[in-house]
Amino acid sequence: MSKKRYGFLIDLRRCIGCHTCSIACKSENNVPLGVWKSWVKQIAKGEYPNTSLSFLPLLCNNCEDPICVTVCPTFASQKREDGVVIIDPHYCIGCRYCMAACPYGVRFINPHLKICQKCDWCIHRVEKGVPPACVDACPASARIFGDLNDKESEISKMIATNNVSVLKPIMGTEPKTFYIDLDLNAVDAKEIKEEH
Amino acid sequence: MDVDLLYNIHLEETFGIYIAIYFYLTGLSAGSFIMSTLAYGFGLLQFKPLGKLGVVIATILLVAAPMFLLIHVGRPFKPWHLFAYINFTSPISWGSFLLTLYPINSIIYGYFMFKGNMKLTKIFGLIGIPLAVAVHGYTGFILAIAKARALWNTALMPILFLVSAMVSGIAMMILVSYIRDRFFTKDKVVNTSLLYTLGTILAGIIVFDLFLVLSDVLVLLTAHSEAKEVADLLLYHNFSPYFIFIENLFGKIIPLIIIVTPRFRSIRGLLIASIMVMIGIFFMRYVVVLGGEHIPLI
Repeated sequence: MSKKRYGFLIDLRRCIGCHTCSIACKSENNVPLGVWKSWVKQIAKGEYPNTSLSFLPLLCNNCEDPICVTVCPTFASQKREDGVVIIDPHYCIGCRYCMAACPYGVRFINPHLKICQKCDWCIHRVEKGVPPACVDACPASARIFGDLNDKESEISKMIATNNVSVLKPIMGTEPKTFYIDLDLNAVDAKEIKEEH
Repeated sequence: MDVDLLYNIHLEETFGIYIAIYFYLTGLSAGSFIMSTLAYGFGLLQFKPLGKLGVVIATILLVAAPMFLLIHVGRPFKPWHLFAYINFTSPISWGSFLLTLYPINSIIYGYFMFKGNMKLTKIFGLIGIPLAVAVHGYTGFILAIAKARALWNTALMPILFLVSAMVSGIAMMILVSYIRDRFFTKDKVVNTSLLYTLGTILAGIIVFDLFLVLSDVLVLLTAHSEAKEVADLLLYHNFSPYFIFIENLFGKIIPLIIIVTPRFRSIRGLLIASIMVMIGIFFMRYVVVLGGEHIPLI
C-alpha cells in the first residue's frame, strides 16, 4: 500500500451556508469563544433582481509546501507523513510567526493556552478511521475527505472529474483543500476595519 | 458589481506594536554599535568620542529589546524551546542565536575598550560588525519570509531595515554625544566638528533611505492586487498620515533640508533634525509592521 496523502474537497454547488461545519468543529475540538478553526465566509452580490449569495467555507489547507512549517522556530508546526500539518502544543511558544506567514489566515492564538492552534482535519478522528467532524456533520454532503493517493477514493474521483481550484495558488504553498465552483468574489471580499 | 461581505471572522493581530518597538530598538542598537566601531575597529580617529558611548548604548538597547519579545509571545517561560528545538529555516531561530551572541560580544568589546586594550578591542569590534548587521538584518528577513503580506514579502525589506537602522542610530549618536558633552563633561564644550560630520553622514543615508522607500512603493503600486491594496493603504487610506507625513516628510525630508541647507546649519538645527529623524524611523517601523498586517488575508 502506498503512502497516504490526505486531501479535502468542498463542493460549493452543494453548500447551503448553514454553518453546521463551524459548529461541529467547535464542539469536536473544544475551540474557545471568539476563535474558529473552520468557518464559512458569506457574501451577497449583484443588484435586484440579479443577485446571489456565495459561501466560502474556510479551514486549514494543510499545504504540500507549508510556509508555517518553514518559519516555525521550534518545530511546533510539523507536516506529518500523511500530509497533515499539526501543531505540537508542547513545543509552541506562541510567537505568532506562523500566523503572520500563513496566507490563509487560518491560525489563531488560543485565548486560554496562549499557543497557536488551527484545523488539523480532526487528525485524532482520522487516525481511528472516522472522517473529520465537519465532514460528518455537513447536511448537504458538500465536504469530502479522503486519500489523494488512492485513485479509487471518492475525493480522487471528484477531483479528477470536476473543475477544482484552490485558494491563492500564487503563494506557492500547494494547498490540499480543493474547492469546486469557487467564487472569486467571495475570496476577494474584505472588510477593512476603519480606525480613524 | 456590488459585493457585500455578510459574514466573516475577524483575524487577530499577529505582530503588533511590541514587535515594532523591538525592531526600533534593535535598529538603534545596531546603528550605534557600527558608529562605535568606526574609531576602534577601523581607526577613523575623529569618531573616537563615539566609541565608548556607542557600545554602552548598543548593549543596553539590545538587552532591553528582547523584553518586548517576551511580552509579545504567548508563553514567556517557554523561549528556551528556541534553543532546544532549532529549526534553521526559521529567521526567529537565527535571531535567537544573534540576540544571545551580539550582546555578549558587545560586552566583551566594551570591556576591552574601557580597559584600554586596543588590539582586542579592534578584534571584537570587527567581529561585532557582522553580528550587528545580522541582528538587525534578520528582523528584515522575519518580515520578508512571512510571505502572506505583500508589504513585507519583498527582498528590499532587510536592506530597508538596515539603512533605516543606520539613519536612526546616527541620529541618536548626534543627540547622545551632544547631551554627554553639554551636561556630563567638566568643560561643557560640544565637539561641533564631530556633530557636523555625523550630520553629513546622516544626510547621505537619509537620501539612500528615501530612494529605497520610493522604489518599494513604486513596485507595490504596479505589482499584484494585494500589493496595490497595501500601496493604497499607505498612500491614501488609514496609514497615509503616518507614512507620508510623519515617516517621510517629518522624519526624513524636513531633517534632510535642515541639515543640507547652509542657512539652517547650526548645532540646534542638527539636534532638531535628529529628534525628527528618530521619531520618523519609529513610525517607519510602525507603518511597516502594523500597516503590513492591516489588510485582512481572507
